[in-house]
Amino acid sequence: MELWQTRFVERLDQRGVSRRRFLKFCGMMTATLALPARYTGRVAQALMEAPRPPVVWLEFQDCTGDTESFLRTKSPGVDELLLDLLSLDYHETLMAPAGEMTERSLADTMTRFPGQYICVVEGSIPTAAGGIHCMIRGRTAHSIAQEVCGNALATIAIGTCAWEGGIAAAAPNPTGAMGVKDAVPGLASLVNLPGCPANVVNLTATIVHFLTFGSWPETDGSGRPHFAYGEEIHEECERHDHYEDERFVLEWGDEGHRQGWCLFRMGCKGPETHHNCPSVRWNDGTSWPIGAGHGCIGCAEARFWDRMSPFYAALEDD
Amino acid sequence: MSEPIPGEEYKVFLPSVQKGQAPSPASRVAIDPITRIEGHLRIEVKIENGRVVDAWSSGMMFRGIELVLPGRDPRDAWVFTQRICGV
Repeated sequence: MELWQTRFVERLDQRGVSRRRFLKFCGMMTATLALPARYTGRVAQALMEAPRPPVVWLEFQDCTGDTESFLRTKSPGVDELLLDLLSLDYHETLMAPAGEMTERSLADTMTRFPGQYICVVEGSIPTAAGGIHCMIRGRTAHSIAQEVCGNALATIAIGTCAWEGGIAAAAPNPTGAMGVKDAVPGLASLVNLPGCPANVVNLTATIVHFLTFGSWPETDGSGRPHFAYGEEIHEECERHDHYEDERFVLEWGDEGHRQGWCLFRMGCKGPETHHNCPSVRWNDGTSWPIGAGHGCIGCAEARFWDRMSPFYAALEDD
Repeated sequence: MSEPIPGEEYKVFLPSVQKGQAPSPASRVAIDPITRIEGHLRIEVKIENGRVVDAWSSGMMFRGIELVLPGRDPRDAWVFTQRICGV
């Protein structure tokens, strides 16, 4: 254990991540998970000791937006720490092998670590016409998902598409697209991290929770972790006071828009959306859609492409 | 492990073609998936006497965003079409 810990610290050192920064990261993860600050030490200890779980990342009907979200943090960022904690064995957008060789990479992980690897799914799974709308190595996404998720220790459905179908399932859902929970029902350990795209901070915090406590964080009825999807955007919004005082943007570029007033009348879906965007934000906490002056489109909610659109039509007043 | 689909009988993969060694007189090489790109791409080439004589490029994933768009508010079109590619 001692040697392993040293090596882990050395790995962080090589990446220019100091112990101080590592502990700061553990503190940030503890806060994101809404755990009391005294858990920081336990998180740090667990991350030092945890074996690196093998991870298989499958892409189906996706746009790679969640992968981009995963990779786009400032160096040395959250994602680099994540890559030190995990062994990313299979990811078609990132891996060196192509063609038939990819099957070997996948089979290697599945045979060497049966029931011990984590499967991440990005994108929806088409089921119409026998599933021909997404084929990899001559196999349907559906049959790959059943086999790979079915033999995994746990599955993470990243992004709204992998949760409940997302854009491919928007009306009229031409390909019969579904999320993992419906296409591969009955998975013992599945956690959903919707968002279009999902936020890397929530992915990392979820994995940190898993490595620390050996289980996924507590989830709501839709299988979304409470820590990330428990609060309404509207209630936590930095523009909420403007809403209360009825200072609304009425036209793009008007005085209210320049002053950063409430976007409710411009179609903001913050009052019907549950996500921790206002606190974790994006691009290393730089900003987020409402902070940049555009309404929320409700991307972490089920059927948002149909239920939240037209995106520029205001919600009914309470 | 995999279910055969029509055309699979032509599945010959790159590692079997060694440098300096001509592949069989008439064969087909398929690379599926092409990695390190966004999307699901399959490239197939037909080889005769060591030369590529024909090639096929196939996008192996379809969501039908062009079928999802009709009837919607035109101001929303960018939000939908932006999701064609997230890279």
